[in-house]
Amino acid sequence: MKVNRSDMFVTAIALLITLSAAFMVMLVMIFIMSETPGETLFYFFAGPLTNKYYLGNMFNSAIPLILTGLGIAFAFRSSMFNLGGEGQVYAGGFAATAVCLAMPAAGAFFGITVSLLAAVVTGAVIAGLSGFFKMKWRTDELISSFLISNALIYIVDNFITGPFDDPGNNLLTTSKVAEQFWFNKIFPPSNLDISIVFVVIIAILAFFYLFKTHQGYEMRMCGVNPEFARYGGINVGKYIMLPMLWSGALHGLAGAVYVLGTSHACFKGFSGGMGWNGIAVALIARNNPIAVIPAALFFAYIEAGAESAMINADITIEIASIVQSVVFFLITAQAIYNFLKYRRKAV
Amino acid sequence: MESYLSMKNISKTFGVTGLKANDNVTLDVRRGEIHALVGENGAGKTTLMNILYGIMQPDSGTISLNGKELKILNPIAANKAGIGMVHQHSRLVNEFTVAQNVVLGAEPKKAAIFFDNRKAEAEVAAVIEKNRFHISPEMKISEISVGQMQQVEIIKMLYRKAELLILDEPTSILTEQEIQRLFDTLRELIKRGKTVILITHKLSEVKDISDRITVMRKGRIVSVKDTADVDEREISKMMVGKSVIFDFAKGEEGCRETVLSLEKVSIRKKRQGHPILDNISFNASSCEIVGITGVAGNGLTELEDVIAGLQKISSGSIYHNDEDITNISPKALRERGLAYVPTDRLKRGSSLDTSVKENLILTSHHDFMKRCGVFDDNKISEHSRRLISEYKIDGHSDVPIGTLSGGNIQKVILARELDNVKDFVLFSEPTWGLDVASSEFIYEKMLEMRARGVAVVLISSNIDEILTLADTIFVMYRGRLVAGRASGPDLTREVIGEYMLGLKDDFRGEE
Ligand SMILES: Nc1ncnc2c1ncn2[C@@H]1O[C@H](COP(=O)(O)OP(=O)(O)OP(=O)(O)O)[C@@H](O)[C@H]1O
Ligand SMILES: [Mg+2]
Repeated sequence: MKVNRSDMFVTAIALLITLSAAFMVMLVMIFIMSETPGETLFYFFAGPLTNKYYLGNMFNSAIPLILTGLGIAFAFRSSMFNLGGEGQVYAGGFAATAVCLAMPAAGAFFGITVSLLAAVVTGAVIAGLSGFFKMKWRTDELISSFLISNALIYIVDNFITGPFDDPGNNLLTTSKVAEQFWFNKIFPPSNLDISIVFVVIIAILAFFYLFKTHQGYEMRMCGVNPEFARYGGINVGKYIMLPMLWSGALHGLAGAVYVLGTSHACFKGFSGGMGWNGIAVALIARNNPIAVIPAALFFAYIEAGAESAMINADITIEIASIVQSVVFFLITAQAIYNFLKYRRKAV
Repeated sequence: MESYLSMKNISKTFGVTGLKANDNVTLDVRRGEIHALVGENGAGKTTLMNILYGIMQPDSGTISLNGKELKILNPIAANKAGIGMVHQHSRLVNEFTVAQNVVLGAEPKKAAIFFDNRKAEAEVAAVIEKNRFHISPEMKISEISVGQMQQVEIIKMLYRKAELLILDEPTSILTEQEIQRLFDTLRELIKRGKTVILITHKLSEVKDISDRITVMRKGRIVSVKDTADVDEREISKMMVGKSVIFDFAKGEEGCRETVLSLEKVSIRKKRQGHPILDNISFNASSCEIVGITGVAGNGLTELEDVIAGLQKISSGSIYHNDEDITNISPKALRERGLAYVPTDRLKRGSSLDTSVKENLILTSHHDFMKRCGVFDDNKISEHSRRLISEYKIDGHSDVPIGTLSGGNIQKVILARELDNVKDFVLFSEPTWGLDVASSEFIYEKMLEMRARGVAVVLISSNIDEILTLADTIFVMYRGRLVAGRASGPDLTREVIGEYMLGLKDDFRGEE
């Protein structure tokens, strides 16, 4: 499908305006709260780009966001809402860790494959459950996915602090997985690992799937106009389930990739924000899988900027996160506004 | 008479396609007249009216009302200037009541903040009273008929004190009776000094109700006439450059074999004291056009949904070539080769934000795969190019179908459904919103299919359409079939009208 060009232009302009507004607010806030605003600003904007360490880490933190953003985009494209991203990422990461811990002597390839698979299946089953409920009893998947995810967070917390807690470490975390399972770093000294390549490939495949395949077409038609789809002989029920499975699988994968690539263990609350930010990323990208990549990078950039300003300049962690939240809030609000406008037109 | 509304040298080009929808158009309307605006699908009528109503801005040209030049930046400004518009496709909110819809955007407020529902209902009731509509302000839109929705749209404009009313194809979705009621309303409004611009494709209506006519063709005005000076044939000649007459031969008896058969089909849920569908039985055979008509609200819509597999029945059976297809899924029905042109073209027949190309492959997308479910883009584009030219669709393959003119949207749906008809096809109100030439084109297609041995079911509230085309005519009244007869000289408009109103019933007492 070609997107209407003037439509895209308007969106781009709107995004630009929001970005400038966010930037202005940020400027004002930094000028008020920082003694050395010039320095703070420098670190905020240029910080993430000044050395290899920051730059690599910025890209690294975009990795799970790309996956969760894709997961949300998939669901949105078929008019399904997956608000359970947080729990799916968490459970996926935990499943991957548990598998690796269970077979510390396994070969790298075999172990990684099984562990990723476990994460994908875990995520898919969790999100799929909401799809199933909707298909069977018309339960609103928005609410059920959120509730299930919240319950799961407590359960996983319990595992991490209970049976899986690493006794040799007083942080609330599992032990580290065996070293052969760790993803290769590709940009030392930063944490950036090889999975970024795969994640980009997944985004391209997702685009291809949605726009160039038969199933993607059916899925999109169910999303834009279910009555039209049913009328045309598309099995609408199938596309209540399928997008939720995809969405959950991608979220689970995000958790596994974070564990195997970055943390090497499943610590309590590691998924905090990955699910929610995935929603914002998908909205900014207007559910376009390719656009998810820059959208996730943008999020990672602001995060890295806040961190760098905090470390190198005089603002505190609270102020850094306030600035960061304001920017996210503005961007997300605009994206949600667009999304709602689009939804309204679609019905 | 001096002019009341004057649109001068209006031009409008659409950026994406570079198409000149209005090309130096000058429209002149006198106070107190009903001015008909006619032209083929895509001639630019809706565009011109959207400009007048402030929905779009012209590239150039001026608008003046009462001799004063106006800049109409949005519909609110148009309302302020006394201009009201009823759109080609309803924009009412289904979940709201009549009153809530009417006041939407101009709500009476309590303490300047809160919506005052009681006051809204009272005010709307007053407007209804004054204009002698028959509708209750507390009813939900989802509970009322299309004809009543139209009334709501008009009430909405009157509530905003409109002096000039624009009606964009108000009659295409109405039944004969509803049209007469609408026209009575319009005459009443004229008496009270209002002015009306009416867009329609039905030239008999133009003759019937308008004072003057403006004819548009390909974005330009080709003629302005007093209605009294021209006849229908001349009008249609001005529109398309040739005259169009319908005269079709009936099918031969030869090849009739039952294709689709309904036996005692019922939906027991009641509406106004009768089951929605009550023991409906009929056959549709190859080489036959079965026409089903009736007044809206008597079960036509539900029968359409049942035949299309979109609505389950509570008892009875349906057979296709002697195989039981009762309550099978729409998917399974499509796989058996059903082609279906629905009444509701915007919600069901098309997906507005989706490209024309992707709308065209809905029912055949299985045929465009290379391997492993991957689409062959070239084949899809080729397919859409072919249908666009074959069906003379005025629109580009890659633009969202929602940007096409009303009639062209319908042509896209027709092209998709008729492109691979197997042995049965269901039409519901196929010519709503189509211009004369396109209607004729569809009629020819129907006859061509009949000649090929297809069973055609035509549900239509347009009696003329049914009389012209159908070999066998059924009439529905209160969920039942009250007539089922071969068409012939004894089956006139009047007779059908009697059946439609329940004055005659051939099957009473049978069961
Ligand atoms: N928003 C839009 N973007 C692009 N093209 C448009 C848009 N609106 C209308 N057009 C084009 O302008 C032309 C005139 O359309 P318009 O809706 O005015 O026709 P119309 O005379 O009302 O036809 P109909 O009888 O079928 O309703 C059409 O070719 C249509 O595709
Ligand atoms: Mg129109």
